[in-house]
Amino acid sequence: MSLIEVNGVSKAFRVSRRSAGIPGMLANLIRPKYEKKQAVNDISFSIEEGEMVGFIGPNGAGKSTTIKMLSGILYPDSGSVRVNGYIPYKQRKSYVGSIGVVFGQKSQLQWDLPVIDSFELLKAIYRVPEDVYQKNLKRFTDMLDMSGFLNQPVRQLSLGQRMRADIVAALLHSPKIVFFDEPTIGVDVVGKETIRNFLCELNEKDGITMLFTTHDMQDIEKTCKRLIIIDQGAKVYDGLLAGIRSAYGTTRQLDVEFSDDCTVAPIEHVEMKELDAPGGRKKRFLFESKEVQIDALMSSLLAAYAIRDLTVSEPEIEGLIRKIYSGEVVR
Amino acid sequence: MRNDTIHLAGVYTKTVMKSWFQYSVDAVLRSLAVFIREAVGIVVIYFSMLKFDTLNGWNIHELMFLFSLLFLTYGILILFFTGMRDFWKTVRDGSFDRFILRPRGLLFQLIFSNADWFAAIGHGGLGIVLFVISAGKLGIIWNAGTVVYYILAVIGGVLIQGAMFVFVAALNIYLLQTDSLVTLFYWDLRKFAGYPISIFHRAIQFCMIYVVPFAFVNYFPSQFLLRKEDMAGYPAVYMYLTPVIGVCMYLAAYGFWRYSIRFYKSSGN
Amino acid sequence: MKKFAPYLAFAKKSFLGRSAYRFDHFMGIFDTILRIFIFWEIYRALYGGRSEVDGITLTMVTTNFILSMGLDAVFFVDDYYLPSRIQSGSIATELLLPVSIHGRMLANNMGNALFQLIFHFVPTVAVSVLVIGIAAPAEPLALLLFLLSALLGYGVLWTISFVAQMFSFWLINIWSIVTIKNSLIKVLSGSMIPIWFMPDWMQEVIHFTPFSSIYFMPVQIYLGQLSLSDILSSFLIQLFWIAVLFSFGMLLWKKGQKKLVVQGG
Repeated sequence: MSLIEVNGVSKAFRVSRRSAGIPGMLANLIRPKYEKKQAVNDISFSIEEGEMVGFIGPNGAGKSTTIKMLSGILYPDSGSVRVNGYIPYKQRKSYVGSIGVVFGQKSQLQWDLPVIDSFELLKAIYRVPEDVYQKNLKRFTDMLDMSGFLNQPVRQLSLGQRMRADIVAALLHSPKIVFFDEPTIGVDVVGKETIRNFLCELNEKDGITMLFTTHDMQDIEKTCKRLIIIDQGAKVYDGLLAGIRSAYGTTRQLDVEFSDDCTVAPIEHVEMKELDAPGGRKKRFLFESKEVQIDALMSSLLAAYAIRDLTVSEPEIEGLIRKIYSGEVVR
Repeated sequence: MRNDTIHLAGVYTKTVMKSWFQYSVDAVLRSLAVFIREAVGIVVIYFSMLKFDTLNGWNIHELMFLFSLLFLTYGILILFFTGMRDFWKTVRDGSFDRFILRPRGLLFQLIFSNADWFAAIGHGGLGIVLFVISAGKLGIIWNAGTVVYYILAVIGGVLIQGAMFVFVAALNIYLLQTDSLVTLFYWDLRKFAGYPISIFHRAIQFCMIYVVPFAFVNYFPSQFLLRKEDMAGYPAVYMYLTPVIGVCMYLAAYGFWRYSIRFYKSSGN
Repeated sequence: MKKFAPYLAFAKKSFLGRSAYRFDHFMGIFDTILRIFIFWEIYRALYGGRSEVDGITLTMVTTNFILSMGLDAVFFVDDYYLPSRIQSGSIATELLLPVSIHGRMLANNMGNALFQLIFHFVPTVAVSVLVIGIAAPAEPLALLLFLLSALLGYGVLWTISFVAQMFSFWLINIWSIVTIKNSLIKVLSGSMIPIWFMPDWMQEVIHFTPFSSIYFMPVQIYLGQLSLSDILSSFLIQLFWIAVLFSFGMLLWKKGQKKLVVQGG
């Protein structure tokens, strides 16, 4: 059995719909209208122990709702969730000790107090033994370079510092699984890099299973092997990061710089674009990898023309995912 | 209670206190502000009594005694139930989601992360001041019986009001907006509660006895000790019911809370 | 007129925003009616059948409560407008906007006040008049002067809050100060006990404070208790307090802003 198992889970919310203007206001005062919003629609997936999975999708896709169901904050309307052998929303107290959750947008630290006070409180809440607490605290604060601001009130920290403190706060009780909801939001480039390296190291050395949502594709590319994409509450993709290319990114691109100006006769299944003026030296060839063999195309060009330079490029993951969101790429 | 639960309660209290003292001027003024806010009501009654002498047979000291029970129970109440009273805030700012993620009782976390010591001192302090001023002037014979009765009445009064907070908090899970409900159920009816209920319209009396039983927090216990004439309008047994009602109401409200919590909806993203 | 356009927009926004909390709103109305009702009951018991006490009839007392509590609902002041911005630090960016923050504060409050006037004052007073009854205004002119006096009364209340909010530059959290302020207003403005029934020395003290000019002056005008010259001087007193309090508030504002600059927001 997998560590995390999600089977056909759905969740809907009732949201009030407000109409604009003064008539709308009056109508709202007398009889508010509600509509049902399907936040998550029949999602299934499973995650093995020690995996590090990126969970992405556009705003309002249902990422946070899924994380909340996995962590036991919300009951699913239908379907089942099983994590680490527990049903999160039914066996709350025994379950939550084995997980950690970081909400990037909502700190769990005491706003007015030094960071260390929040840690001490968490130690008492999670019943962390003194030696484990000291060991974890020392290790994590060293790794994240936090000793400088442990005694500073949270309200005085930068966003990056606060986020590091929040991540440590979720790890002090040595959880087996950690959920991250936007763990790098608003953090500067260097801070993001520190956080990513930290998470990778923890995943590798301690085998902590991690699932995180993010808007930053760099986060995913640098940390996760596996990716789950959801859109409008439904799962769109689930597989290896590299697999995205073979699944969606089948278009290949060959940029050629010829030695002299020339024209190239149309080739079957290949679209040609002039990068200079028409009949110029630089041209781009676009084709589907299953229709045209790249080496065949290259050798036929090399045989017919004098060529100075050739560049083959694969589509970027980020661009592909953007296409998946916008519906340009269909499953 | 297990040992580490007591330990956690201690750590929570220390943390809450420390947070308050980050703004030390406001923290110290807080008790005073609460005291003044509540005392204003008493000052008003004092002025009225200078002009009118009695309110349906109750003189100023008897009224003060009536009020002192209300403040005393409230002072104790908010040490334990501020989190329930302000539950809607906890939900709205997302802190309740966090409580769910921690391996401790939800009520326990709500209670100890919100204990409002300064307001408790303000309310409780006023209750004690009023008690000291009035208790000696009323001819109450303080013996073992009346003292035990008084203590039980205070505990019952705290439980009755605590049950209301727990009930409203549970209701918040369905309605989302309940601050006005707290205002209505609690603060507004509490305004009646300072006075002998016999002066009010029958409908109000009915509410105060059977719907939101504030009458059992201070009016009937005071009647037991003071025996004013207007008690004739109510069954004598009501003077003894406060602790029973407190326990029953609290258990019912707690059950409702336990049942309702499964319908909790996090406040979205 | 163009200069006021953004403030009108703020006022409109806060006016419209109020409809979102529907349940709250109806509860709020109920709350006011209930409070009026409680005082009516208490004073009925206190009067115990007497037609008047010290020349004050029960109807005058209830009129005082209905009007002052009705006005209390209309007189919307957000005591935490400035403190919340100082606490969150957003004050620094808001000061850079091309609209005055005081203007925004007032526009926001006025938008709410207008909403309260239409949807809170009117139903509250209507119900109270039907159930309890109210004294008719002494004469048509008195009604007009009452409205004018009430508007100035709002000015006094607003400027008191304005001054109180300035303390947040130094104390950050001003819950206590606001609470003490509001308690004083409650008792000294006559909204909890008619000023007629206060001991003489207390009435003397109140005359030297801005509090009686918030609700009590308009109510006295409505009941025809003041002569025309008294009414004129009451307007002057209200204007005096508005000027004094506003200047004091601006003085604190300037000092507070300096402090903000020194600390870097």
